[in-house]
Parts: sequence; structure tokens; C-alpha cells
Amino acid sequence: MSSAGHSKFLRPLCTLLFGVAVLLFFGLAYPHHLHYQEQYQLFLFDRAYVWEIVRLPGGVADLLGRFCTQFFLFAWVGALIIGALLSAVQLLTLQLVCWGRLYGLSFVPSLLLWLFLLDENALLGGIWAVLLTLLASWGFSRLPNGWLRRILLLCAIPVLYWMVGPVCVLFFLLQAPRPKRATWWYYGVFVLLAAMLVILSYCLPVPAERLWLGIHYHRYPTVVPVLLWVAALSVFVLTLTARACHRWVCAPCHFIVTPLSFLLVAIGMGCLVWNTSNFKAEKVMRFDFMARHQQWNRILATIKAEKPKNQIGVTVQNLALAKRGLLADHLFDYHQNGIAGLLPDVERDATSPLPTAEAFYQLGMISVAQRTVFEAQEAILDFQKSARCYKRLAQTNLILGSYEVARKYLKALQKTHFYRDWANETLPLLGNEEAIAQHPEYGHLRKWGYDEDFYFSDHVTPEMLESLYFNHPDNSLAYEYLRAYYLLTGDRERYARLLLHTSMTR
Amino acid sequence: MKRISYILLGLIGLMGCKGTVGDAIQETVLPQIYPDYLGVTIPVNIAPLCFSMADEDALRIDAVVTDSHGHRLHSQGRESVNFNLHDWHTLLSQNRGDSLSVTVSAKYADGWHTYRPFPLYVSPDSIDPWLCYRLIEPGYEVWSKMGIYERNLSSFDEHPLIENTQFEGCVNCHSFNRGNPADMSLHIRGPHGATLLRHAGGSLIAFDTKTDQTLGFCVYPYWHPSGRYIAYSTNATSQLFHSADASRIEVFDTASDLQVYDVERNELLLSPLVKQDSVYETFPVFSPDGCSLYFCAARALPEGSHQLDAIHYDLCRIGFDPATGTFGSCIDTLVHASSQQQSVSFPRPSYDGRFLCYTLSDYGQFSIWHHEADLYLLDLSTGESRPMTEANSDDTESFHNWSANSRWLVFSSRRDDGLFTRPYFCHIDAKGEVSKAFMLPQRNPRRFYRNRFLSFNVPEFIIGPTRFNGHKASRIINDDSRKDFGVRKESSF
Repeated sequence: MSSAGHSKFLRPLCTLLFGVAVLLFFGLAYPHHLHYQEQYQLFLFDRAYVWEIVRLPGGVADLLGRFCTQFFLFAWVGALIIGALLSAVQLLTLQLVCWGRLYGLSFVPSLLLWLFLLDENALLGGIWAVLLTLLASWGFSRLPNGWLRRILLLCAIPVLYWMVGPVCVLFFLLQAPRPKRATWWYYGVFVLLAAMLVILSYCLPVPAERLWLGIHYHRYPTVVPVLLWVAALSVFVLTLTARACHRWVCAPCHFIVTPLSFLLVAIGMGCLVWNTSNFKAEKVMRFDFMARHQQWNRILATIKAEKPKNQIGVTVQNLALAKRGLLADHLFDYHQNGIAGLLPDVERDATSPLPTAEAFYQLGMISVAQRTVFEAQEAILDFQKSARCYKRLAQTNLILGSYEVARKYLKALQKTHFYRDWANETLPLLGNEEAIAQHPEYGHLRKWGYDEDFYFSDHVTPEMLESLYFNHPDNSLAYEYLRAYYLLTGDRERYARLLLHTSMTR
Repeated sequence: MKRISYILLGLIGLMGCKGTVGDAIQETVLPQIYPDYLGVTIPVNIAPLCFSMADEDALRIDAVVTDSHGHRLHSQGRESVNFNLHDWHTLLSQNRGDSLSVTVSAKYADGWHTYRPFPLYVSPDSIDPWLCYRLIEPGYEVWSKMGIYERNLSSFDEHPLIENTQFEGCVNCHSFNRGNPADMSLHIRGPHGATLLRHAGGSLIAFDTKTDQTLGFCVYPYWHPSGRYIAYSTNATSQLFHSADASRIEVFDTASDLQVYDVERNELLLSPLVKQDSVYETFPVFSPDGCSLYFCAARALPEGSHQLDAIHYDLCRIGFDPATGTFGSCIDTLVHASSQQQSVSFPRPSYDGRFLCYTLSDYGQFSIWHHEADLYLLDLSTGESRPMTEANSDDTESFHNWSANSRWLVFSSRRDDGLFTRPYFCHIDAKGEVSKAFMLPQRNPRRFYRNRFLSFNVPEFIIGPTRFNGHKASRIINDDSRKDFGVRKESSF
């Protein structure tokens, strides 16, 4: 087989290997980052929702990103999607120039995008933006030179800008005419693009700098997604390099060069990916995931293998211990953060309050849980809503008897793909007091709720736990938490009184 | 030929979808529609009152609006009726001061049902053409996306003045001088905190309203009719949350005072009478003649006390001399709500000086979180108050404002679902007769209000579009340079 024949066979294999590597990484090593992403959006199959997204520059890429992110509920599906997208970016990069001996470099943009996705706040819309830009560039490269191409370019720039946002500048760069050719029209397009952005900055309700750097490539509105830009611009720089060294690059070479260059880049960038990965965050996210899905036994197995020390891990660990009636007896077998490890004060962010809210909910502190979840959702920095929070808010409103508010959340969840069935099952419960009373979860949570109203704020007091337990001694979770609270604060007197009360009532 | 046949079949199919109500079952009861527009009084220039059946079992809905002159307006839809905007306005203008009859039919699984017609009364009094409000999630302390919006009341057009996507922070306390957007005040909270003022249609200026002689930033603005002064309160506000009560949140002041800002001299005017440590003074509003300041006042709680249900605000009045910018020497109590263990908030006098509308709740001043809160109307000529039963509901009625002609009142109500605030309108005639309230019309109200997870906050009438340049405003906000408020103290202070 000739060198070209080997390359034809080896190149798809390399792409496949790359895609599988991405799949395995996100599926095995980084699955909870994907769950984390999924919980901070609410993808609705609704015209108004779609319009809200696509009416802004970059909206189509953003919409596709959000659409794909909903599948991150299942990490392996999410990993498959990311693998496919990054492989597609590599394949499109490969089409732009003759890579020859530098074949391995065609993986660099994809690997940089992989690096970008290691950040839990990097959004998939950014990947779609690069992919769509490359797709448009590839389509344009097949057009013959001439007026038609120039006119289409003129039209494509604003359309592409609206679809993918400022990353489309890559498309513009890739269309750069060869030296010695007429370039006035090319710079004309550049002026047009700049003028368009200046005009848009007066029309759209977003700061001007975000029109230039991207509205929704990253969850933090003030963060410039540097890695995404490096990945996008690397395509231009690398193709320019390959073009500059065209004779040497495309000269016939031994077939081993293709896999060798791939291996070099793959190993180099692979090490970078591995070292940049935030496995510490992954562990924290795993605890949050397990709490969200109430996997108490899995949490107990996890903490046996590795005792958590961070706030979320300890909160979830204590909740799982309490759910299995082990908290007070085994409290000091595990790391504790004082009473902050039981029910931490509510912070103003979107992440740390959610496991605490789970504990509030399980304890029957429904109003407290409701406030905590609501605030967490409001704190999502890109103003998205959360399917996880909507579901919980529907539940808290149902338990508290605010049926019309619960209906509102449930009706919204009916427009999702993955929460629709649950919403359909829950809607008939609204107003049906008997069905709620008999419900295995809502029935006892409603019963355990506070009988007397009092004011609360960010800090949970022992009186709040006492009220739960002494009014409903069958609330074993409150009993566990109350005992743990006294043990952690060293309040022997109250601890003894609690044990006495329990021995008398049980 | 074949193609023509297909087109004809398609057209017939489409016509079949529309359906006719000729063979409908005649019901003797009134229809249950959402929003409840049965027997409401509407202004001649209001947008079409589109509606759905209250239940969600209806497959189609059909409505015919007729008048005594034989005019007829028809609409049919799957979810909601949607009257033609032009035809609606024509019909209303032909029936100014008259009534219309609406016949509703709904198609259910067993066929069409036609209900007893209900009337709509077209008031000869027009309503201010625009409404300005803040849209925000009815949350606790953290905020997500929000903005100030204006809505054309004759159509369904809504657009933002400014949104917090343009800067980091929160926007609130929009205020206009009798609905005239030439005088405008807007408050920004957060890292770029400021009060934006526009006076007599001039340019926007960002102020730092905090001074070393006042409690904090100026809030709850109200313009003097001359446009020269703005009454403000400064409030040390806190929040607590209910553990087992239908009301979720308690917003309360631990201290509050009043002051008036002289726009021309850039001076805050203070008076010891409205700056007492033992009294919480809040919600200042000028009387229509500009010679008095109405406000709410409550005896302050002992420091550290959280007995919030013991805070009861009365409606008070103090004189104000616009010529010299000086306060009167005594405070009158107009509504002694505290004696009834009740509390007044949001006093708003009608611009013709006849009435004053206020909210009455069991305690405190932030009545939007009180389900028992209702609107009351004080007759300023007799001093008598009465509940606005015709407009009130079982749920919260709170913030409100008068139209420029003092014939319409817009108010916030949570009657829809107990949480999300919606704007409602009612007519109040010269004798103080209040009509049944109706909700802000939307093209498809059920879909609109169900999909919108935002409260309409502080609805204010405006007599024209604000012509507010949000981009310029956001640049001013992000610029962070602020003009300081000066302070002029009264001699006796």
C-alpha cells in the first residue's frame, strides 16, 4: 500500500481514536462536570424560549449548545456529544489545507477546545460557534473565486456573526486572499463587520465589549473565554503555517509520519488536558450529584473510601449518614466542619446552597429549602434557569400548598424533554390533599413541616431543629441532626435532655 | 387539476378547523374566562381584551362583541380569542360611554357551548397611553435578570428602557412627575449604585444620594408637581423569612427618615420633624397642590426587637412651602391605622386632589408580601376611608398609581396565583365609585402570564414614551463618576 493509501486508512482511525479518548475522559473521569452543566439550564421546547436565545448574536450556536447540554443529564451521552463535536472540528480543520507531515497539528484546535471544556462554566455554545464557523469556511472553500464568492462573503459575515457570534472572525481570516491579489473588497468586508458591531452596540441590551468577545461562550458574563479564542485563532495560525511551508509539508513522506505526528500532539496535549483537569472539583460535584439523586448508600460507600473535607462533601456525607440513622453515632468517624458541616449558612452563589437545600428539604424545612433553592437559581450568573431548581420549587410549592405556583413550574417542565414525564405525573397531585397525604415523599414532608411560624435568615439555629423534632418525634432525620448539633457544639445539657425526651416518647 | 383539488381540499380542511357555533348548546350561565373580564369598565384606548376559557379543557374559543348600533367584532382561536387591533379600537371609539356585549362560545369534547353574554363598559375617560414597570422574579435577596420596561396600553408592545444585562447590579424605583417622563428618577443598586435623574427633559445625571447627614441612599422618590423637588425616604431595610406562613418574606425598616431634594439647588432639605429616631417615616408623596407632604409613620421598635407585627404605620401629613423649601411645624395624622392594629403603606393622592389611595395591611410597610393587603380610598374632602372592595381580592393588592386625569388606578395584585404580581386597572369616578378591576391585556393572556416568571413591579402610568436611552444610561452607570447630593439643614435642626 502506498503512503497516500496508508494515510487514507490511518487518518479516520486517528480521528476515531481521538473521539473515543474524549468520550472516555468525559464519561469516566469528568462525568459530574457534565451533570453540573446540565443543572444550570432549562432547555424548553418553546418558541418564546428559542426566540430569546436566537435574537442575540451567537444565538444559533448558543441554542445548539443548550440543546446538547440537556443530554448531559446522562454523562455518557454528553461525553459522546462532546467527542463527536471535537472530532468534527478536527475533521473540518483537516479539510482547510494540506497538512501532510504536520497532520498532528490538525488536532490542536480540538484539543484546545477540550481544554476549554475542562472549565465547568465553559459553555458548549462556544464549541458550536467554532464548529459552525469551520463548516462555513469549508463550504466557502469549495466555491470558485470570483464576484459570486465575494458577494456571498459579504452576505455571510453578518449572517454568521448572528449565528455564532464574534468567533466568526475566524471565517473572515480564513477567507484572506492570497498575496498579490486584489484585497480592497476583503478589507471592505472587515470595515463592514466593524461598523455592524458598533451599530449593534447601540441597539442591543448588552455591553459593547461582549459583542466583540462573545455574549454567551462562558457562564460568567465578565470572563473572556481565552481558551476558546486561542482554539479558534489557532486554526488560522496553523493553516497559515501549513500554507507557508506548503512544499515541505506536502512533500511525499513515509506513512509512519501521519500516526507519529498524531501521537506527538496527542501525548503532548493529552498530558496538558490531564494536568489541567480539575479532579478536585469533580469530586465535589460527585457529592452534589449523589445528593441530588438521593443515592445515600453510594454516598456512604464513597465516604468510606475517601473522607471528604470540603463543605459540600461534608454536608452531603452528614445528610447520607443521617438518612441511614448513623449520623450521631458515627459523627466523629468522619471529618466535620463544626456545625457548618451540618447545615451551612446559605451563601449567595448557585452551587454551594444546593446540597444544603437538599438537607433542608429532607428534614422537612420546606420554606427554608424553597428559599435556598430559589436564591441559588437566581445566582446563576448567565441568568439561565435550572431544571433541577424548577423541579424542587414545584415540589416545595406543592408541599406548602401553593398549588398555582407549583403548576407554573410544572407547566414549564412539561416543555422539557427529560422532566416532562415527572411533571405529567406530578400535576394531578395539585390540590389533591388525599393523594399528597399518601404520597411516600410529600406526605411525610408536609406532616413534618413547622406548625408555628417564626422568622429565619441565613443561619440555622438549634431551635429550628428542636421545633422540627419535638413537634414530630417520628422525624428521625431531625433527631439525628439535633443530636449531631449538640455533639458538635458540646451542649451536654441539651443533649441529655434530648435523650431523656426520646426515651420517654419512644 | 390535481394540484387545484389538493388546494381546495386544504382550504376546506382549514375552514373546518375554524368551526361554527351555530348548533351550540345554549348555557344560561356566564362564561368562566381568564382573565376575568366579566362586566369590567375599560378605557376607550385600551388594547384588545383577549381571553381564554378559565379551564383548559376547551378545544376552541369563540367570542362576538356587539354594540347597540349593530356593529360586530368576532374572533375565534384554539387557546385564546385575539381581536383585530384596529377593529377593536374602532368599536371602542364608537361606543365611548356606552356598553358592549360579549358572547362567548367554547368547544369541548361534546361540542360547542354558548354562554350568557356579559357586558363591557367603555368609559369616556381615557387612560394614560403607556405603563412603566420593573420586571423581576419575586425572590428573596439575590436577583437574576431584571429591567425597567414600558408598555403601550393601546397595543401589546413592550420594550426595555434598561436591563441589568447592561451593567452589574439591580435597577428599581423608577418615578415620573405625574406620569410625565421629562422628569424622571431611576435608582441603581450594586457595585455601580447611583440615582439617575432627568429634569425637564434634560440629560441624565448620576447622583450619589448618600450623605453623612442621612441614613443612606435616597429611595421611594415622588416628584413635586412643580418638578423642582423630589421627596425621598432613606431606609435601613432588612429582611427575614417566614417558616410556616403563606407570606414568604418580611421586609422591614430598622430606621427611616424623610427628606426633600431641591433639584435646582442640588440640596437635600431636612427637617427634625420627619427625621425622628423614635419614628419610622417612609413613603413620602406631595399633595397635588405641592403644599403638603403625605407619608407613613410608625413608632420605632426597640433596638434588636423582631416583633415585626407590632410595627403599624399611620398616614400623616406635614406642610411644605415650595417657595422656600421649608417644612411645616406640625404633623397631622390622617389615618390612625395603628389604633386598629393595621398599617398604611404607599399613599398616593389623585392629581385632582379628591382622593388618596393607600394600602392597608396587618402590620409593616412592605405590603406586597402580605396576602391580606387591600386598597383603601380616602376621601380628602371628608377624611373618610373605605376599602376598594370592587377592586380588591382575597390576595395581595399593593403598589398603585393614578392616571394623569385621576380617573384610572393601576395597582399590583397577586390574585392570579398568590406570588407573581400582575398589573390591574380600575376606574374611579368623581364620586369615588370604583369599578371592577381588569388585568393588563395580552394577546394570549394565559400563555403570556404562565410563561412569564416575573413580577410586574411598581407599575407607573406615563403620558408618553420615556425616550430613555438605555445605552447612554448604562455608560453613565458603568462610568462610576457620581455627583454628590448637597444638604441644607433647617435652621431649627
